[in-house]
Amino acid sequence: MVWVVFLILSFLCIGSVAAMIFSRNQAHNALFLVLSFSSLGGLFGLLDAPFAAAVQVLVYAGAIMVLFLFAIMMFNLRGELPARVKKARLALTVGLGTVLLAELLLAGRKLVLGSPGAGPAAGGDTARLGHFLFSDYLYAFEITSLLILAALVGALALAGKREGS
Amino acid sequence: MTTFMALAPLLAVVSGALAALLFEAFLKRKDHGVSAMAAIISLFTAGFLIVRSWGLELAYFGGRLALDPLALLLMAVFVLIATFVLLMSLEYAPRRDINLGQLCGLLLLAVSGLMIMVSSTDWLVVFLGLEVLSVASYALTGIRRNDWASSEAAAKYFLMGSFAGAFFVFGLAILFGATGDLSLAASLSGPGGPAGSPSLASVFGLGLIVVALFFKIAIVPFHMWAPDVYQGAPTPVTAFLTIAPKAAGLVVLFRVLTPLPGRGGTPSLLMQAVAVAAVLTMFVGNLAALRQKDVKRLLAYSAIAHSGYLLVAVVAGDGTGLVFYLIVYMFMNAGAFGVLAALSGRGEEHTWFADLAGLGRQHPWLAASLAIFLLSLAGIPPTAGFLAKFYIFSAAVAQGHVLLAVAAVLASLIAAAYYLKVIVAMYMQDAELEPVLDRENPALHLVIFLCLFGVVQLGLWPGNLLTLIRQAFIALF
Repeated sequence: MVWVVFLILSFLCIGSVAAMIFSRNQAHNALFLVLSFSSLGGLFGLLDAPFAAAVQVLVYAGAIMVLFLFAIMMFNLRGELPARVKKARLALTVGLGTVLLAELLLAGRKLVLGSPGAGPAAGGDTARLGHFLFSDYLYAFEITSLLILAALVGALALAGKREGS
Repeated sequence: MTTFMALAPLLAVVSGALAALLFEAFLKRKDHGVSAMAAIISLFTAGFLIVRSWGLELAYFGGRLALDPLALLLMAVFVLIATFVLLMSLEYAPRRDINLGQLCGLLLLAVSGLMIMVSSTDWLVVFLGLEVLSVASYALTGIRRNDWASSEAAAKYFLMGSFAGAFFVFGLAILFGATGDLSLAASLSGPGGPAGSPSLASVFGLGLIVVALFFKIAIVPFHMWAPDVYQGAPTPVTAFLTIAPKAAGLVVLFRVLTPLPGRGGTPSLLMQAVAVAAVLTMFVGNLAALRQKDVKRLLAYSAIAHSGYLLVAVVAGDGTGLVFYLIVYMFMNAGAFGVLAALSGRGEEHTWFADLAGLGRQHPWLAASLAIFLLSLAGIPPTAGFLAKFYIFSAAVAQGHVLLAVAAVLASLIAAAYYLKVIVAMYMQDAELEPVLDRENPALHLVIFLCLFGVVQLGLWPGNLLTLIRQAFIALF
C-alpha cells in the first residue's frame, strides 16, 4: 500500500517538475512547482518526518510560491531575453546541475555502501516543538500574533480602500 | 513576583489598539473621534498600571517579561510621547486626509512593540518587539496616502528596516549557535561561566545585532534612511519616530553593552567601535544640518546628532544621564515638532526658513516657544537640554573618555550655529509671506505648553526626576 502511494507521489513530483520545465506559460510554471513541492511534502511524510512535510508544504508551497505568483502577476515579464544572457544562463544551469548531481551521487553512495546509521531521533519531534512553543516560547509565540496583526493593519492602512472614494 | 499582572500595561495598550481599529472599521462617522478617545483612555490606563507596578518587580513568562524599574520608566516615557502624538494628530490628521482611526491603532501597536522591547532580557522577545514597532512605523510613515513624499519615505524605511531586521536575525542565529541560549546575559558570558570572556563567535553575533540596532536608531554610517523618512512622514509621526524607537534601542544597547568593558579583549574592541560611531554620528549629523534650508529636515539631522550624544552616555555607562537625556529630549523634540505642526496649513507643510521669517512679530508666543525648544536642543544653560548634556559629558570625563567628551562638546558648538539660524530667521527677518497657522487647535497648543513646561521645569529643578531615575538604577544593579 505504501509502495502505491510512494509511486504515485514520485511520479507526480517528477512529472510536475518536467511539466514546469517544458511549459511556456509562467503562471503554469509556478503552479507546477507548487504541485511538485506538495508531492515532495507527501514523500517526506512517508519517510516519517511529519515536521519536514508540514514545513515543506507551508513554507515552500504556501509562502514562497504564492509570493512568486504575485510577482509574476504584477511584473508581467514577457520580453525575449538577449542571446548573451541566454548563453550565460545555460552555462550556469549546466554548472549548478553538475554540482547537484555530484552531491546526490555522493550522498547516495554513502547511503548504499555505508552502515545503516543511527537514523532520525526516535519520533516525537513535532510534539517537542509544540511543547516548547507553548511553554518556554509562549511569550514570543503570542507576540508573533501581535506582529501579524500589525502587518495586517499596516497593509490595510497603506493599500486598503480609500476613505470617501 | 511572578504574576499575570505584569502583562497588564501591555494588554491595556493592545486592547486600546484593537478598540480604536474596530471603532474605525464599524462606526460610520467620518471624524474618528471615538477611536482617538479609546486610544487615549487605554494610554491613561496603561500609565496608571505602570505607576502601580513601580517597586513591585513584577515578572511573567519565566522572567521573559520583567517589569524592572528601568523598563517601567521607559514605558511611562512611551505612554507620554504617544499621548502627545495623539493630541497633535487630532486636528492635523483630518486636515491632511489621514485616517485618524488607523493612525491611533498603529500608534498603539507601535507603543506595544516598544514596551515589549524594553521589558525583556531575552533577545528573541526583543527582536519580536522591535519588529512589531517597525512594521507599525512603516505604515505610520506612509499613512498620508495622497502625498508622494510620505509614500517614498515609507518605502525607504521599509527596505532599510527589513535589511536591518535580517542583520538582527543573522546575529541571533550566530549567538544561539555559540551559546545555546538567547538571554542577554548569556550572550555576554563565555564558555567558562558567566564571568568568562565571551567567545569570538558570540561577539561577532552581538556585533551584528548592535549594527541592526544602530540602523533603527540612525547611527552613522547606518543613518542614510533617516532624513528622508523624518521629512516625509507626517509631522506628529516624525515626532514619534525621532524619540520613541531611539529610546527603546538605546536602552537595549545600554543593557547589553554596559557590562562589556570588563570582559577581556574582543568585547572592548566592540565598545571602541561604538565610541567611534558616536563621534561620527555627532559630527555628520550636525555638519549636514548646517546646510539645510527646511526646518523639518534640519530637525531630522539634529535627531541623528542627538543619537550620537545619547550613545556617549552608553559608552560612559551612565544610565541615569541616558534616561534623563531621553526624557528631556522627548519634551524638547516633541515641542519643536509641535510648533512645526501648528505652522502647517491645510494640505501643504510650511517648514522652510522663508515661512518662518517674521514669525516673532506675528505670533510671538509660538515663536518664543520654538526658540526655547531650539535653545534647549542646542544646550544653552537655563534650559533642560543644557543639564542633560552636562550630565552625560561629565560622566564621560569621569569614566576616562576625555577625547569622546571633547568631541561631543565641539559637536554641540557646531549645533548651536544652525539652531540659532532658525531663531534669527524668526526674529530678525521680515516676512515675505503671511505665515499660515492653525488657530483653532487647542490640543496641539496643550502639547506645546506641556513640552515647554517640561523643558523649563527640568532645566531649573531636575532633582525629583533624577532621584526617581537613580532609584531605578540602584534597584537594577
